[in-house]
This record gives sequence, structure tokens and C-alpha cells, in this order.
Amino acid sequence: MWSLLSIALRNVLRNRRRTMITLAALLLGVGVMVGIRGVLNGLQRALVQTAVSGQTGAIQVHHAGYLKNVIASPLTLDMPADEDFLNKIRKVPHVTAVAPRILFAGMINVGDQTLFAAMQAIDPKREFDAVPLRKMTVSDGGRFTSGKIADAVLLTAELEKGLRGTPGQAQLPAAVLGPDKDGALSGENITIAGQLKLNLPGEKKLAVVPLALAQRLLKMEGRATELVIAVDNIDHIPEVAASLRRVLGSDYEVHTWDQVASFVKQAMERQNLILSLVATVFMILMLLGVANTVLMSVLERTREIGTMMAVGVRRGKILALFLIEAATIGLLGGVAGGLAGLGVVTWLEQRGIEVTMPGSAVPFIIRPYTTLTYLAFVVSLAAGGSLLFAVYPSWRASRMRPVQALAGG
Amino acid sequence: MKRLSLTIVRLALAGLGAFLAVPAMADPTAHDLLAKYDAVMGPESFESVIAMTAHRDDGSSRAYKMRVLKKGDDKFRAWFDEPAAVRGQEMLRQGDNLWVYMPSLKRAVRLANRDSFQGGDFNNADVLRVNYQADYSATLAADAGRADAWLLELKAKTKDAAYDSIKLWMRKADLQPLKGEYYTASGKMLRAAEFSEFKNFAGLVRPGKIVMKNMIATQRYSIMSWDSMNTKVNPAATKFVLDDMGK
Repeated sequence: MWSLLSIALRNVLRNRRRTMITLAALLLGVGVMVGIRGVLNGLQRALVQTAVSGQTGAIQVHHAGYLKNVIASPLTLDMPADEDFLNKIRKVPHVTAVAPRILFAGMINVGDQTLFAAMQAIDPKREFDAVPLRKMTVSDGGRFTSGKIADAVLLTAELEKGLRGTPGQAQLPAAVLGPDKDGALSGENITIAGQLKLNLPGEKKLAVVPLALAQRLLKMEGRATELVIAVDNIDHIPEVAASLRRVLGSDYEVHTWDQVASFVKQAMERQNLILSLVATVFMILMLLGVANTVLMSVLERTREIGTMMAVGVRRGKILALFLIEAATIGLLGGVAGGLAGLGVVTWLEQRGIEVTMPGSAVPFIIRPYTTLTYLAFVVSLAAGGSLLFAVYPSWRASRMRPVQALAGG
Repeated sequence: MKRLSLTIVRLALAGLGAFLAVPAMADPTAHDLLAKYDAVMGPESFESVIAMTAHRDDGSSRAYKMRVLKKGDDKFRAWFDEPAAVRGQEMLRQGDNLWVYMPSLKRAVRLANRDSFQGGDFNNADVLRVNYQADYSATLAADAGRADAWLLELKAKTKDAAYDSIKLWMRKADLQPLKGEYYTASGKMLRAAEFSEFKNFAGLVRPGKIVMKNMIATQRYSIMSWDSMNTKVNPAATKFVLDDMGK
């Protein structure tokens, strides 16, 4: 067995140029796979972080039936937002923060212009504990975020442009309007305090108003329609969601971030699918190269195979010899490619890639990373694949007739 | 004797008139029907007291009471009295422009036609812009299911119209509106109305009640009923300017 292995290794080194070319193909293929997976890992981690710490929170609580209601953001399905109720949630292990919100459809008026907008009422004192990254999407000189201006409102650039022609124009009287909880039209004066950027694709005409002002406008003192919950570690989300369901009972529905922002999860699944397709194509091309190499060396070494058979080497050993040669090349190329990919990914991780998602105005930094499991998977795929693709040429070698082979085929 | 003969002459004339009128009663055109609808639902000038009850999907309801004044084409005012939450609110329409005055803001704010009227199932234009001749082009269609009514199909001419398209049924006997269906541009039915309680309001016979059903949130509907409607008014033009609001 050992002699077979050493013969195989020597054979690999015999035609160096060919081995190098095959190794280069494997290195490139495996390297690219590791690189793409690494970048995708980083992108997906950034996406999850943006959603969880910048928008949806880890978990959301609504009144039962809220998300499936035919009316988007109904006010009738509300819930308490007082300290007693919030404390009940804070007491659940791993919960680090809770922030109440009210979502409603309303209008923003500036001067003589009134536009429909999706409204999000948040508590400046609690919101950024639950979704800290969200603070980066606000440019208001602290006027809203400090909570000091009670009627401060943030608008997306799109909405502000519609209202004022150009953003940041002179202050005109401004108001927020909307049907209150009972449907009667209600209005409050506001001060436009700054701009809000979107960190995930979503409603472009969005206004953020202080929770207290919205509660007054909508006649919903002490109430909310959405609770945003932060947890200490993303891995605890399912556990916390289960505890919350138990604590809150059937009057409320508990959703994890990926159920609320299902498009993030769907985007990730799509990316993974595309990666698998690309990787499969790369792999097959790479392995066809290996198969070709083995076939060529079988044809070149016909005489040698004949000699081996003539001196009594069994057909099974010949088959094994070529298979071992192919697997060796696959393993070497796989390891080299894995290391090269790891190098590139690590370099990119240090450096960071800044990207802006389509439909989002806030750029985020992607820090690619890879896992040992994935590296092991890719290397074994390269080695195992090479072995598999070498089966046919090796079988042909083992089926040769000694006399003909000795005569050179 | 003189009186009797006068009566006979009158009767004869009436009979003759009726006789002459019968062959003259051709089918109305779409245009005639639309004009009739506008004349009934939005007379030239009027003052009326209207009650609206909005029923919501959770079973609750809210009653509104308002006074509405109209002068000429598309000049409306509305004053809200009930409930307390909207007392002091006023609305003004001038042509395509619509404002609401809110006591909490102490100023008037522009509104959109297609916005819901006080959160109910009518929209602002349903109540404060009845001018179908200006807003829609109509074609007469046949409804095999209803022999007693004309079916009008209306298509919006302007984007300020309340709906993109409407199907309107009008009773053949007296050309009163019976039923309406209101659609989005994509053909989705938003609302459906039933007209009923036909009454004589000081000479104007028209529906005294409209039930508007929300076809999206199907548990919701609103009822609008007219307590009074006086078409013999001539309100001052100064009532229909922004400066008059909140006074």
C-alpha cells in the first residue's frame, strides 16, 4: 500500500508542468469559492446586523392579528406601553431593551403642501437602546434624538423634497395629520428637525415622530402598536421569542426579525442559491481539468501500464494508482486554493468593503469571513471530486490488455 | 261652471301632454343621466345638515354631524359639530383645492380628494365634490340582471376625480341613483354604495341615505343621511375663502 502511495506521488511530480497547470486550476477554483463565500458571509452578517440593530430589532411584539390585518398598520389592534407592561418583557432573560412604537398612515403638511406618508412614532429615549445602529440614519443635530424638542419630526429626503421642493428650505409652518384611533381627523403642529435615511429597502415616504406626540394626535395615551425588543446575543432570539410567547399569552403575537423583515432572509437565501450554482459550475470545470489530466497521463503511460501488468501488478492496483494520483492533485490544489482564499478573505476582513444596498441610503462595511467547516468542505470537495472524475480514465487504464499496452496501445 | 270648464281644459291638456310625452320618452343618454345625477346629488346651491355614522371592523361606530353649504360649481363649506373630537373643524373646497381647518393647528391645511372623509368609508370628494359631469366620461351599458335600472360606466377624466372608475345604477322609472360601485385603476372594487330613503327635500326628490360599504376591509361601512337640504339659498361668496375659516 505504501509503495503504491509513493509511486503515485512520484508520478504526480513526474510531469511537473502538467501538474502545475492542474493545480493552478484547482487553486483558482477553490480560491474563488472561498472568496465569494467569505464576501457573502460578511454581507449577510452586515445585513442581519443592519436589520436587527438598525431597524426591526431582534424581536417584535404586536397585538394578535396585527401583521395579517387587511388594513396596513391598524390602530385598533394596540397594546399597553406603560412601564408595568414593558417591565414584564424586560424581565425575560437575555432581553436588553424594549422600545414602543406606533405605526400609522398619516399626512405631513408643510405650508401649502400636504402629502401622505408612512408614519413611525418612536420614543427617542428608548428607541436607540433597542436599535442602536438606527441613530446613524438620523442627521438632526440631536434635535430629535435628544428628545428635547417635543414636536421634532424627521422626514426622508424623498418626503421632504415632495413637501418643500428642495430639502432644507426656510421653515414654514408644518403639521402632522391623521385619523385618530376612532377615525376622526386629528392634527398637531410639528417642527421639522432633520433628515432620516433608510438603511434597508422599504417605504420611501416615511416620517418619524415622537411617540408622545403621536399618542396625543391619535388619542392613544399610554398605548403602542409595536414593541421592538433587543437581546444580548442573536443566538438567543428563538429562546427569547418562546419565553415571550409564554409570558404574554395569546393576546399578542411575537415575531423574530427574519419574520418581520422576511425580504432580508429571502435575499440571503437567493444569494446562497446563486453562490451554489456558480460554485457548482466552477467545480465541474475544475474537475473536468483533473479528469483530462488523468486521461492524458493514462494514454501517455500505456507502455508503462503494460510493463506493470507484465511484471504482475494487479488491475485493481493500477486503478488505485491513478485514483490516488488524482486525489493527491485534488487535495494539494484544494489546500492551496483554500489557503489562498483564506488569505484574500482575511485581507478583505481587515480592510472592509463599503457598499450601499440598492434602495438604502446608508452604506455599510462588509467584513468578509470564512469558517473552518467551509474550508474543510471545499478541500474535501476538491479531493473527492478529483477522485470521482478520475474513475473513468483510471478504469480504462486498468482494463488495458498487457500485450497491446506493451506495444504502445 | 267657469271653474269646471277650466278644470276640463286642464285635464284635457294634461292628457294631451301625457299622450304627446309618451312617444317622446326616448331612452336617456349617458350624458342626460350624469346631468340628472349631479342635479340630484349636488344641486347648484344648497345648505344641508348631514349625519354620518362610520362603522368600524371592531364593531365600534362613531357618529358625525355636519352642516354643508354649496354655492355654484365646486364651492363647498362644511362645519363639524359632532363628535367632540372634531368640533370646530371646517372644510373648504374651491375648485380642485380642498382645505381643512383644525382648531388644534389654528390654520387650514390642504387635503387630498381621495383621502378618507373623517376616517369613514366615503372620501373627501364623495362628500365635497359632486360634479360627475366634470370629472367623468360616461357610457351607457346594459345590466342583464337589472331591468329596472340603467347602468352607467364612468371613467375619470382628471386625476382629481374621487375614483378611477365607477359603475352607477339609476332607476329607469325616475332616474334616481340606486347603487354605485367604485374602482381603482387596476379594477379593484374599493367601495360599494346603496342609495335609499328617497325623500322630497323642499321640492328636490333625492336619496336621503347612502350606505357605503368598504370592499377592502369588508367589516367597515358608513351611513350618510340627510336631515335637511335647502336648495333655495344664496350664500355669500365671502363664505368660500380661506380667510373665513375658523371664524
